[in-house]
Amino acid sequence: MSESKDKNSLPLSRVRTIMKSSPDVAAISQEALYLTGKATELFIQNLAMISLETNESKNSVDYKDLAEVVNSEDVLQFLQDIIPRKIKYSEYLSIKQKEEDES
Amino acid sequence: MAERPEDLNLPNAVVTRIIKDAIPEGVNISKEARLAISKAASVFVLYATSCANNLALKGKRKTISATDVINSMEDMEFDQFVEPLKQVLEEYRKEQKSKKDAASERKKKVKEEEKTAADSDEEGQGEAMEEDAGGEEDTPVGSVVTISDDDN
Repeated sequence: MSESKDKNSLPLSRVRTIMKSSPDVAAISQEALYLTGKATELFIQNLAMISLETNESKNSVDYKDLAEVVNSEDVLQFLQDIIPRKIKYSEYLSIKQKEEDES
Repeated sequence: MAERPEDLNLPNAVVTRIIKDAIPEGVNISKEARLAISKAASVFVLYATSCANNLALKGKRKTISATDVINSMEDMEFDQFVEPLKQVLEEYRKEQKSKKDAASERKKKVKEEEKTAADSDEEGQGEAMEEDAGGEEDTPVGSVVTISDDDN
């Protein structure tokens, strides 16, 4: 009931589902759930802001800005698999070629 | 709990609103970037949960506590979130307390009302009508005229 009061708050029921999807989690206190939701909101704001700062013209946020921060900030290393830098197929081929040459 | 894969995503509408509130007005954010941030937020929840759960396990507790979540931010090197979260927790606790107080207050009130209702039934209806016995008061008739010469 109180969850939908603030339109900019993440739905805690969904946050709980995600938390519970981790197999070794036994139980989550109500306070811990609430704080995780808030922490995630802070994280979203933070990620948006640093991506904007990375943007060349500083008036838009594009995928490449996100990929840039994710792959240059150590703190965001955990996101590297889901927000990879985009590369051209030709670049991919040359990377592959290099790998093969090295091995 | 029926778990569909989309249940592990956060609602895009809410995520978009949070982003729009964070960045200055007029700044455009591409759909691809929004989806990526949304996914990142889900992964963040999992990462934080796993860190907090480890702290709980270390403390031989089964339930993740608020302190575990706050301390997990340090493990993740999101130290800048620690202070805001402490504040949020304090506000949350105050809010919960006042909700609780209000609920018990309401209960008390209901009880009191029931009690006073019972009491007033016992009271006799001893209110006599006060008769207006016509004590006529002198009302001044005629007006007092003040003449002022000030204007001149």
